[in-house]
Amino acid sequence: MASDPRTTDVSVEAKQDPSIGVDEWVARTAQRREFAPGWRGDAERLFERMGWWPKLAIAAAFGAIVPFILSNNFQLQVGINALLLALLALGLNISVGWAGLLDLGYIAFYGFGAYGFALLSSNQLHPPTGIHFAAYVSLPIIAVAAACLGLIVGLPSRRLIGDYLAILTLFFGEAFVEFTNNVAPSKLGGPNGIVSIDPIRAFGHSLISNKSYFWFLLALLVLTAAALHLLDNSRTGRAWRAVREDPLAAGMMTIPVNRVKLMAFSFGAVVAALAGTVFAAQQVNVFPTDFDTPFLILIYAALILGGAGSIGGAILGGLLLSVMLDGFLRSPTEAGYLFYGVILLTLIVKLRPWRKLLAVLAATVAFGFVVHAIVEAISKSAVAGQPSGGWISSDLHNWVVVPSNATTAGNIGFVVLLCLVIALIQVKGRTRTVLLVPTLYLAACVWEGVLVENPSVTRQLLIGAILIVMMNARPQGLLGSKRVEVV
Amino acid sequence: MATPAPPVLELDKLSLSFGGLKALTDLDLIVSEREIVSVIGPNGAGKTSVFNVITGVYEPTEGEVRFLGESIGGKAPHQITRKGIARTFQSLRLFLNMSVVENVMAATYGNTKAMPWESILRLPRARREEREVRQTAEEVLSFFGQRLAGYRWGQPAYSLSYANRRRLEIARALATRPKLLLLDEPAAGMNPNETHEVTELIGRLRDELGLAILVIEHDMHVVEGISDRVIALDHGVKITEGTFAEVASHPAVVEAYLGRDPEALVQD
Amino acid sequence: MHFFIQELVNGITQGSLYALIALGYSMVYGVLKLLNFAHGDLYMVGAFVGYFVIQWFGGSTALSIPVPLLLLFMFLLAGGGVGMLGVAIERFAYRPLRDAPRIAPLITALGVSFLLENTMLLLFGASYRDYNTSAFISFNTGIHIGPLNIDLVQLMVIGVSVALMIALTLFVARTKLGRQMRAVSADREAAEMLGIDVDYTIAVTFFIGSALAGVAGVMDGLAYNNIYTLMGFIAGLKAFTAAVVGGIGSIPGAMLGGLLIGIAESMVTGYISSTYTNLIVFGILIVMMLVRPSGLLGKVPLQKV
Repeated sequence: MASDPRTTDVSVEAKQDPSIGVDEWVARTAQRREFAPGWRGDAERLFERMGWWPKLAIAAAFGAIVPFILSNNFQLQVGINALLLALLALGLNISVGWAGLLDLGYIAFYGFGAYGFALLSSNQLHPPTGIHFAAYVSLPIIAVAAACLGLIVGLPSRRLIGDYLAILTLFFGEAFVEFTNNVAPSKLGGPNGIVSIDPIRAFGHSLISNKSYFWFLLALLVLTAAALHLLDNSRTGRAWRAVREDPLAAGMMTIPVNRVKLMAFSFGAVVAALAGTVFAAQQVNVFPTDFDTPFLILIYAALILGGAGSIGGAILGGLLLSVMLDGFLRSPTEAGYLFYGVILLTLIVKLRPWRKLLAVLAATVAFGFVVHAIVEAISKSAVAGQPSGGWISSDLHNWVVVPSNATTAGNIGFVVLLCLVIALIQVKGRTRTVLLVPTLYLAACVWEGVLVENPSVTRQLLIGAILIVMMNARPQGLLGSKRVEVV
Repeated sequence: MATPAPPVLELDKLSLSFGGLKALTDLDLIVSEREIVSVIGPNGAGKTSVFNVITGVYEPTEGEVRFLGESIGGKAPHQITRKGIARTFQSLRLFLNMSVVENVMAATYGNTKAMPWESILRLPRARREEREVRQTAEEVLSFFGQRLAGYRWGQPAYSLSYANRRRLEIARALATRPKLLLLDEPAAGMNPNETHEVTELIGRLRDELGLAILVIEHDMHVVEGISDRVIALDHGVKITEGTFAEVASHPAVVEAYLGRDPEALVQD
Repeated sequence: MHFFIQELVNGITQGSLYALIALGYSMVYGVLKLLNFAHGDLYMVGAFVGYFVIQWFGGSTALSIPVPLLLLFMFLLAGGGVGMLGVAIERFAYRPLRDAPRIAPLITALGVSFLLENTMLLLFGASYRDYNTSAFISFNTGIHIGPLNIDLVQLMVIGVSVALMIALTLFVARTKLGRQMRAVSADREAAEMLGIDVDYTIAVTFFIGSALAGVAGVMDGLAYNNIYTLMGFIAGLKAFTAAVVGGIGSIPGAMLGGLLIGIAESMVTGYISSTYTNLIVFGILIVMMLVRPSGLLGKVPLQKV
């Protein structure tokens, strides 16, 4: 009697890492692959057969509805930031994901666009010169200038490869911040930046409300994604990918490698600059610190998370990361949803069969209560601290151990947690499952005690962790495809 | 009587040195249309260096490289390939993560002109070129019969078998519409059946496409089967040239490959 | 002239610190071909270790042990501790990626840097900590001959740095481990096939490089008093510049680069203005990369076709 696939826990298709000479493609094609039974399989089949354009249209439609669902201005701002990050990740994807060039100065293009719009479309330069243009004049100027800037920054890529190019572009990015901070303070505003920038005006309308900026950005994002998709399936896209694969062979196959690299820098620069102009218009002010290296790392994290080399991946990574960090980490309750939600999700995905999952969860809960009781018996003040507000936390009060002076204990706990996580990765099998229980509990305690109180640091920690975990566990990101590399 | 067309490839007293190391010394070589010339010699004789100089990876230290009468020494690789020279590599250099058909289509870049914005807006020239590129790819891949047939086109290049990857590399080189084809050890690592197929294939390339072909090869069966002329190199110097029979029995060639006759050594 | 010599001394002092950090960058790049962005943060950790040693022994104004002993403890703990931290980072973050394409460890290094900086931020906060060196080492001691004024701390920094650099050069040139390091730098696979324990060699390289950075961090605290969690970032960038200018992968290059950058910095600060210092240092790097990417003493990498 054949085993019912719904109750077996073995995964349905034999997954094999792609490697040279192994014809996994034939094994994967439609007739051979088993889809999950029932409606899930039908949905997967439909999704695979659907073209790229319908998917874009559906995503755009969803996006257009969002402003009607969100209730307040703050949420709209989160949405705008998410769209901005997605757009930036898209631009970065051109040089990093497609052409394989590590551009660590990308943030400078974003800043260039923002400052460009700030200078051209405000009164910053008005008293001495007559420069105060409307958006439909500034934007094209900025786009062209950004393209030229991209060419200039890309020029060293003729002679430098890999790491050296990364260093150079990183320093270019740093130089931009130094430049805007220190040079020509009367014109560029110095550390105080430029204020009172125009909103975007077009066809008699001014974009003032967050809602209108949201839709504008959404349109910009959809158009950019469409343009890049068309580019990807043309000679330019093939040339970029060929240059990433093997620059020497590409040169031998009539591809002008240097010119192609410059084009990648240029296009990326234009996308970033456009994002920058919208940023400047919506924020009304720009400061040098808006374009510092940590933000660049955020864009990289978004691209890596979503999947470098894939348009959908870049957008998904940008949206996801921005919503997670901006949206959830602002208030303790929501941050709590995020934290526990992500952990639960990871456990559900990684721990099979479901019996094991339930066992671990039950054990963690029990462990927690036991530890709490013991610690409470030893010292009342050790559990007197308040886990942060929100309905989850009040229930947790009797479960986590949060001392009244949470800082020192929390710090020690954090370091111990790091060691436990590392240990967790090293061990395997049953030891790992057992070790999971105290690790989870400690994570909850450290979260409630320390991390929730320091949202900005937690945010950066999360970004760093994402980069490390992604590169080790799933370098192709969520939507990317696994690559074969000849090192 | 009209002057004969210049040979497709002419190396004139070509020398290549890296500091004190002389990779090639005073090399003369001619390849004409519809001709297959094989270069043989022990490892380290400088054979791949010849290819590298021709394709612009290295600049000749002395002497000239002429393609269809025009001197190409010192030009950039992509310029040289656009003029009509294509090569394959000793250790395969495919675009592994791109599909079979994309590998071939990528090589048509130099023969197309559409600018990026034309591609984005799908203007007529871009659409026309895209159709032509697809057609070229189909033509070139069908040259290999069933081996790289339709169902394989969407397959990523890394999933092909070794012999198919070698064929794909030749297909990719053909997509650049070359007049001169440089094949670097096309039969390396192949079993007798595959070797036979490759030998036939190279002959067809000469006969059906009229190419001038320069081949580096170690397998003497292949060399015998395809060559119109054979050139033997050792330590960067040409030791002899002629038909296969003449070269294979030449004492200097035998010595280069096998060393001196031990009996002759004793007698000395 | 007074001024010039003073700035020169300052430059050499600062340059020695950059050189020590740059050495770590170069060594790690040599064996792993990895630019360890997190290296500057190890420098910061070392500075904090030194600070806490001072506090442990009573604080800068009420030391319970003699100063030379204090210094010894600081150097040993910072060097050893940060060295071990470097080994741990290599073991858990970089080793799994040894055969991955270059972009992967680079991005991981960015992540590690972020993680280190923010962990320290979480644990110790953003406020400056003050070594308050003048409380236990007087400014007045030192060399004061004519126009030359080098105080004791500066002397110590230069002296310790020079001693460490000499020791390192001898180590790499004369000892078995040093030879192994050079072999792994030249060709890792070949070294492995010759029986060299590559994992161990790389771990030792990381230990030494990180320890140097840790000691440099302590000396930074002693010389400049104020330390804070983000100090590693900018120091790392400048040491980076030094390593690259001198020729990444080359030990004498890192030393030369460090000194050059340090002196350039103090000259710019002294004669032009401190607002332009960073900009000019970055400018030097950009020019060097365009004109001679392999650096002053580095070798151009060969590519086999």
